[in-house]
Amino acid sequence: MDSTKKRKVSALRVGTVWLLLAVLLIVLSLTAINVGSAGYSVKQILTALFSSEKSTVKTVVVNLRLPRLILALLIGASLSSSGAILQSVMRNPLADPGTIGVSAGAGTAATTILLLFPQLTGSVPLFAFGGAALACFLIYTMAWKGGVDPTRIILSGVAINSVLGAYNALLQMLHSDSLEGVLAFMNGSLSGRSWSQVHTLMIYAGIGLVLSFLCIKSANTLQLGDEMAKSLGVNVSVTRVLLSAVSAFLAAATVSVAGMIGFVGLVVPHISRILVGSDYKQMLPTSMLMGAVVLLAADTLGRTVVPGMEIPVGIVMSVIGGPFFLYLLRKRGKMIGS
Amino acid sequence: MVVNGKKLNIGYGDHTVVRDMDINIKAGKITSIIGPNGSGKSTVLKALTRLLPYKQGSVFIDGRSLKDYSSKELARNIGVLPQMHSAPPDFRVKELVGYGRMPYQKWYQKNNSEDDKIVDWAMRSTGVWELREKSIHECSGGESQRVWIATVLTQQPEILFLDEPTTYLDIAHQLEMMQLVKKLNKENGIGVVMVLHDLSQALEISDWIVVIKDGKKYDEGKPEDVITPKMMKEVYDVDCDIIHIAGREKPLIAYKEIC
Repeated sequence: MDSTKKRKVSALRVGTVWLLLAVLLIVLSLTAINVGSAGYSVKQILTALFSSEKSTVKTVVVNLRLPRLILALLIGASLSSSGAILQSVMRNPLADPGTIGVSAGAGTAATTILLLFPQLTGSVPLFAFGGAALACFLIYTMAWKGGVDPTRIILSGVAINSVLGAYNALLQMLHSDSLEGVLAFMNGSLSGRSWSQVHTLMIYAGIGLVLSFLCIKSANTLQLGDEMAKSLGVNVSVTRVLLSAVSAFLAAATVSVAGMIGFVGLVVPHISRILVGSDYKQMLPTSMLMGAVVLLAADTLGRTVVPGMEIPVGIVMSVIGGPFFLYLLRKRGKMIGS
Repeated sequence: MVVNGKKLNIGYGDHTVVRDMDINIKAGKITSIIGPNGSGKSTVLKALTRLLPYKQGSVFIDGRSLKDYSSKELARNIGVLPQMHSAPPDFRVKELVGYGRMPYQKWYQKNNSEDDKIVDWAMRSTGVWELREKSIHECSGGESQRVWIATVLTQQPEILFLDEPTTYLDIAHQLEMMQLVKKLNKENGIGVVMVLHDLSQALEISDWIVVIKDGKKYDEGKPEDVITPKMMKEVYDVDCDIIHIAGREKPLIAYKEIC
């Protein structure tokens, strides 16, 4: 019965996890400010920041590294929260925003604009957001049959994702000479983002994250099974749609700013569940915090590991996330909640 | 509280499982629904509790149509323990039981001290008080089934609907479950409607039995009147005798020897 004892999560354990994540967050943030292709020393940075004069150091730190840092944190937290909520909606630990068409929808819209209407490139975020919302709406409409159940959502998701994927592939083939922007979008990057994106995302992610906290009780109830939730007086289908909307909103907001970043929404809630248990009261905040840490780490790694070159954060996440996920699956044959 | 189903047609998709079913559940009694596999027992239970929408007919609870009840209002009046239920294995017993108070709360509210008292009461009534700090994973099959009963009991329903509450339990835990049902009925006056497979248990515990065969009501009545060699032959195609033993209030079912 040793293994079962480990599963009971004490308040102390949750506190320790949160404290550790907070420390990591601070250390990583300081590192992210400090490292980069322009090699400034800590002293240089501090002097520049606290002097009233304008300097290159100050510009780089305040206008490049700082907004990027904040974006990474917001996006990590949003994607993880989005994944965590969706996993309760689907009652499936393998659900991520891609399941409900957010990635495919945003990708389709972005590809269309970038390749067919390049004059609208500046509005890609807006269209990506719209595309994500539209694809998600389409999937739920097709899955609706007197209510929504996870299997039907996943299956219509597969269908829509496949059609949109084919369209994307075709479009890219026809315009294979001008794929630079598309590739950047598909592989999620934080390169060259500025304060204006931070301001936009702050509003959307702020709203989304607050809404996520309101989902906690419902997410927990859905874990008890559809019939049990119904018999407790929960309108299961309406709850599913509302939670999905919050999840899609968060994911769409991040996609529109940074393109597609995979694996965060899948892996982070999983690790959180292992660390603090399946109760969303602890699991959701842990996911947000950990998501911020993980994405910041991946982005910082991506822009420093090869000198003079930036590896998009989406690629770093997939490269590290994939094997790590396999490791988790092998190590814990039976995971909590699976 | 009474539940009346009239001329119910129930099914899944285009497939109709139950036809023209009239069923009346009396207040404060133990009613068992019996019948062969696939006869539609659970389907009836689901329709009466709105887990499955019926195609035709009507269900009235205390004279009011089932369709007029809000989800929460219904959950305050009847408690349902479906056959399929699961909780994350690391949920604690007292937390799970606490969810039974949801029908009394707004979506943003948490359990208050009044709710906690009812949760405690439900855990004591079902004998899971000692387990309250354990995780579901640490409970045995019989224990976790009692935890689920406690959860439903926390809704303070007038009628409990239990779908095969003893399936997957060993005989000791089956009997324990039946004793618990009887106790809840007697001490708290809660009506119980169960789908049961074990006819001996149904015979022993029920005030009223409804027999379903091929989606239609075959018979209903007091256990001794309903469970007869003739019914056993016609519904289950099983030969048996009903034996009365001195000193035992209820008769026993003696199945024909296998070899």
